[in-house]
This record gives sequence, C-alpha cells and structure tokens, in this order.
Amino acid sequence: MVESEVDLTKTYDAIVIGSGAAGGMASHVLTGHGLQVLLLEAGKKLPIEKELRSMEWPYDNPYRGALPLDQHSLTFNEYTIRNPPYAAGFEKTKHLRSYVGNTDYVKNIVVDERENPFTGTNYAWVRARCLGGKTNIWGRLALRLSDYDFKAKSRDGYGEDWPVSYSDIAPYYDKVDLYLGITGVKENLPYLPDSIFQRPTKLNCSEVTLKESLAKMGRVVTQYRAGVTTDGLKHNKYRSRCYGRGACERKGGCDIHAAFDSPTGLIYPAMDTGNLAVRTNAVVREITVDPQTGKASGVHFIDNQTMKDYAVRARVVVLAASTLESARLLLLSKSRLYPNGLANSSGHVGHNFCEHIMGPSVAGRAKNLVGKPPTLDDGRPGGFYLTRFRNLAEKNPKFIRGYGFEGGSGSTMFPRGTDTHGFGAAFKEEVRKNQGAFIGMGAFGEVLARYENYVDLDPVVKDKWGIPALRFHYKFGDNEHRMAEDMKETAQEMFEAAGFEIVHVNSRVLTEGWSIHELGTARMGGDAKTSVLNQFQQSHDVKNLFVVDGSAFVNASCQNPTWTIMSLCWRSCDYLADEFKKGNL
Amino acid sequence: MSKNDPIDLRQDLRQDRRQWLKTSATVLGATLLPLPAVAAETPQAENTPAAPETKPAESKAATHFFTPAQHALVDALTETIIPADSHSGGARAARVADFIDRVLRESLDDNQKALWREGLRLVGIMSRHYSGKSFVDASPDERIAVLTVLSNNDRMTDLPEVRFFVELKRLTVRGYYTSKIGIHDELEYKGNRILQDFVGCDDPTPQSS
Repeated sequence: MVESEVDLTKTYDAIVIGSGAAGGMASHVLTGHGLQVLLLEAGKKLPIEKELRSMEWPYDNPYRGALPLDQHSLTFNEYTIRNPPYAAGFEKTKHLRSYVGNTDYVKNIVVDERENPFTGTNYAWVRARCLGGKTNIWGRLALRLSDYDFKAKSRDGYGEDWPVSYSDIAPYYDKVDLYLGITGVKENLPYLPDSIFQRPTKLNCSEVTLKESLAKMGRVVTQYRAGVTTDGLKHNKYRSRCYGRGACERKGGCDIHAAFDSPTGLIYPAMDTGNLAVRTNAVVREITVDPQTGKASGVHFIDNQTMKDYAVRARVVVLAASTLESARLLLLSKSRLYPNGLANSSGHVGHNFCEHIMGPSVAGRAKNLVGKPPTLDDGRPGGFYLTRFRNLAEKNPKFIRGYGFEGGSGSTMFPRGTDTHGFGAAFKEEVRKNQGAFIGMGAFGEVLARYENYVDLDPVVKDKWGIPALRFHYKFGDNEHRMAEDMKETAQEMFEAAGFEIVHVNSRVLTEGWSIHELGTARMGGDAKTSVLNQFQQSHDVKNLFVVDGSAFVNASCQNPTWTIMSLCWRSCDYLADEFKKGNL
Repeated sequence: MSKNDPIDLRQDLRQDRRQWLKTSATVLGATLLPLPAVAAETPQAENTPAAPETKPAESKAATHFFTPAQHALVDALTETIIPADSHSGGARAARVADFIDRVLRESLDDNQKALWREGLRLVGIMSRHYSGKSFVDASPDERIAVLTVLSNNDRMTDLPEVRFFVELKRLTVRGYYTSKIGIHDELEYKGNRILQDFVGCDDPTPQSS
C-alpha cells in the first residue's frame, strides 16, 4: 500500500469516520465498489509491530511487560470509588489509561483518559484512538448471532426485534469468514450458528473433561471461535497464518496479524485498490449538513497534533466511530434543521444503550493434572467457549435472555496460583506443581436495551480539543443482577460436575463498560419514530448518512459483537454502493 | 533453633503486636516514635552521600533506591520467599532485589516507597527480637521464623509490617516468575515459540470436527 498526501479539497464519494472493525469494513466494501473514499481516524498510525512485540520475553522488557511507572491504568476499585473524569488523585502520572492499558504493549493504543474526559455514571470506557482502533487489541472471539437474538422480542416479548433476520445476514457472515479467516469447530447449534471455519485449535485436557461432563447436561463447550486465520489467506499479503506462538493471553494484539485487525485485514488492501485515502490524527467534531437539501455534506475535523480545523466534503457520510463516539458525534452535529442532533428526530440517539455484563467467574483445579510434567497449553489464540444455555428451550423464572462463558486452562507464561498462601520452598513447589492444573471461566451476559440507559452531551466538560464530553446515564438493572447471580451459581455447579476442585468463585460484577461491548445507541428499526436507522444502517432522516458500527444493534445478545458489526456493515455498504450508483443518495 | 522447635511467634503478634515492638525498642535502646526519625536498624549502614551539587541523574541516590545494606536485606528476604531448591535457582539467582530496586526507584507512589523503607526497618527489629541477629546474619530457619509470623497474619493489614510482607511477596513473585530462571528453569514454560500445530490434549476421546 502507498500512503500519499491526502487531498482535502476534493469532494469524496464517501467519508468514513473511524478505522476500527466497522470503518475498516466500510472502506473495504465501498472501495471495492469503486467509490472514492476518505477514511478519517482520530489517532495516529502507530508502528504497531513495535508496540505489540508479541514474542518479547518479560525479562527483556525494562518493566517486565508492565506499564512504565510514570503511567497508571485504572483499577476496578478506582472505577468504583472515583467519579469520572478520574482526573483528581492522579496528578503525578504522566498518562492515565483505562484498565486495558496496563501493559507496556498497549499503552499507546488506548487513549489518555484525561485528554478524553467523560462524566455521569461510572463506566469503564475503553477507547483506542489509532489506526485500527480496538481491533489492534481485541479478544478475537468471533461469534454469530441467530434469530434467537434478532427476533428475541418475538420469543420473550421484551424490547424490539431487529429489522433483519439471520437469513439476511448469513451470507455476509460467510463473506466475513472467508475474507478475514476464523478458526473454530462446527457444533450445529441453532442459537449459535457455525461459521466457515479454518483449521481448529484443540482443547486442553481439563477442557476435554469439562466438555464431556457438560455434554451429559446438554451443554456445549467448544473451541474458542477466534477471528484468527489458522490456514492463512491467499488474498491478503499483510497477514500471516497463526503459528500458535503462545503468549496470546497477553493483553495486546498479534504482530504477525494472524488475528484480525482492521489495518492489515481491511484498510491496507483497500488502499491497494487506489480508491482509499487515509487521514489520521483527524478528530471529527461535526458532520456538516447542506441547509438546502438537509443532506450530510461532509465533516469538520481538528488535527489531533496541530489543533488546526479542517472541512472536507463528501456525497455520503459513513459513521463508524464506535457505539459511543458515533452517538456523541450525532448529538454534536446540531443545526437549525436538526436541533436535537443529526439523525435524531426520534429522540433515540444515545438511548437503548446496552452491552454485556461480566464479572461472575470460577477458577478450579483439575486434580489429575497436579504434578504432571509441564505442557504447552497456551499456544493458541483462545481457550474454550461455553455456549448459552438459558432461555433457549426452557424459560428461566428469574431473568430473560442468556449468557455464555469464555475460559482457558493450563500452563501460562506467568503462572496462575501465585496467590497461594505462604512462602518459601513449599510455596514455590506448590506453584510449580499446580501450574498446568488450573482452569477458569468468566461469563458474558446480555444487558437489556432500555431507553432509560443513555448518553448525552455534558453541558460543561470538554475534551482536549474543546469538544463537549459524553455524559453517561447508565446502570445495570434487576434482570442483569439476577442473571449475574445465576452465572455464579451455574459456574460453580458445572465445575463441580466436572470434578474440579473449586479454587475461587467470584460473584463480583465488574464496572459497567468492562466488556468493551457497548452497543445500541442508534438502533435500527422499521419505525422512524422509535429507531434511528433502517435495516441498512441508513439514517431515517438523512438519506446519505449511514452509521455502520455497534450503535446500530437493537439488542446486545450475549455473543461478542465484532463479527456481527462487520457482517452488518458489509451488507449495508453493498446497499449504499448500489443506491449511490442509482443516484438515490 | 531447629525446625522441630519453632517459637510461637504468632502468639506474640496476636496477643499484643505493639508489645514486641516496644520490647525490641527497649532492647535496642531506641524509641520507636516518630518512626521515620529513628534508624533502629544498622544506622552505620545509612549511606546518603547525596551532595547538593550533584545532579540527581548522576548521583548514587538516583541510580539505586536501596542502600547497599538494604539491598543485601532485600536479597535475603526475597530468597526466603522463593528459595533455591534442587529444581531451580531462587530469587537471589534471579536478581529479584535488582528488579524491586528498579520498581521503587521509578515509582511515583511515595506511600509505597515509605512502606518499603519502614518495612525493612521493622523486619530488622523483628529479627533482632527473635534471634538477636540482623535478618541478613540470621540462619535460614531464623529468617523463615520471622516471615512466618507475618505470613500467618497476612490479613492483619492494618499493621505496616504485614502490609510490607504482602508487598514483598507480591513483587518477589512478580520479579521471579518473569525472570529467565523463573520462566525457563523453574516452570519450564513451553510456549512463546513457533508451532506447526498446537498439541492440545492427547486424550484418545475423538473430538467433533
């Protein structure tokens, strides 16, 4: 790919705002249809391999892989006892990071919290401003949704159905599978459809024990479905296949790009078409509107470094700045025509905000593995996934919707079990003998989309660029807390059924936002009065405005959203290009 | 003192944790309060040559957090937490004291630094109280006896010496298991290399595919 000076004087066919999973996919699809696209990213293009250093040994790192000591990443307690924007009390630290930014490898990928304040209720908001955004460090679990999710209201009466069915999205899930690569094992589950999988990884011994034990209960443990190419991709020269190098548990990305990230998976190939210009350090502050036509005309952005203000024009604006940033930008884009913000005649922008609740977890020990010679247990992109089992055939009396568990087991570079009591020779031997025997899993559950959970603009607080900050009005509700209680109980039950010795059961619910799966602030729907976007993620109000990230979700389901974000985006951009060529935009 | 004849240090701490501190202070002929003002432990080792003219970057004080005597004490403490055994080297061989020195040197947390200085002093007092020797001069069993008091009471975190023990163990564990000796010799970690295929469990049970 060739990077060239970006022409800001011409009128582009489309401006894409944001370069993560959604923005990368929009760039890929639209340039593939021949549109001239300008991609705007608020952060830098990082020398990502130098940041990630995936195979660096801790002893070769001055901080043994930890964050340099002049920086600080927020902890659970700090999120809980302090109020956003978290400035006070951290005056000495050069940079303040979200909880994810706690290693030397991701410190430059996530934003400085003080430059990017927000207010209101507590929220562990993880933001990555750099080319590729959070796809540089995502957890890689790549799951499909099904009609259990798209038509959840029809099943239990709560919320709204999506304006699409699984059959609409399935061909696009297939396209994403084939274009980006995914590893997993077919299970033929109606509520968790299979992808077109490349070579699967394998389960470790304690995971096989868990799988066999749960099969008797009708529950399913399957290999982690990772957005990782295990066979390689002939059509992509920027990505290598997975070599199972291990250390994938380290928070941070994959420097050979076997794990999907937006730059190597989508953006660089799109640049190779000659149809994509990329402008980094472009902090968009407003989507502009033509007062004659009421249509989007382009954007205003501020250069991240020079603070200079720019305007660029386009025939179509595609918003992909992430669920919360996209909502913020719509609300920021007020005009005489759109006094409540752009695409907001329904008043639903920022509302119906949902995500995944997490925290309840269990850790155990497979006794038969204690004292066994060390094995290689982490040379794979992920461990196991225990699929949803609540509210499928039966109806749970305590809560609606469901949850799944992500887990892992066995030896890791830094041993589990160092919180063993004591010290000395016995402690050392205990850690050594148990290192391969540990198994653990944590739940991700659906947070119901509620109108009352929303974000708006803070009237006072502004970010480093003078742009009004987002204000949160967001709390988990009763359904979530009842579900969390159930997560803890079933986690323990299932580990006991598998014969594991329970080491720890955690019932603590993590701060809102911890899952980094925020969704639903500009939901799709058939009714323009109760939704922001139509089924093609096109604004009901502004025909040449599309919002193609997680904000379009109608509910959160309990499956990780990235693969669905990209599949929906592909479908919408096919529609966009078609409408564009017909002159309908 | 032999392993079969441990002194019941836990009782000491439980009954009146200030009592032994007072006793030891009397023995040493020093008063305990205010704590930072009194160098109850090896005052001759206080090595603070920082001349006002010296630029911080060039001075000894800026390149090391611990004095040589403190470094020797931390070396002995970390080796007691994770000792060498027939399987592999311990914290001393893994140079964990150097790691901790670096962490504290660069730390912006004054409370953490104060805890280490105070903790090292208190451990010195405890060691003299129980064995009549400094921790460095004490025998391995005598060292274990001192840390056993703290470890057995590691939930009494209102006590600075207990908080110090928790912090000592935390950083020793972190320094040791991220060292070459910890990763390769002790745990014999097999990962972080290129594999053609992940082995997984060689359980004969067929897996669905």
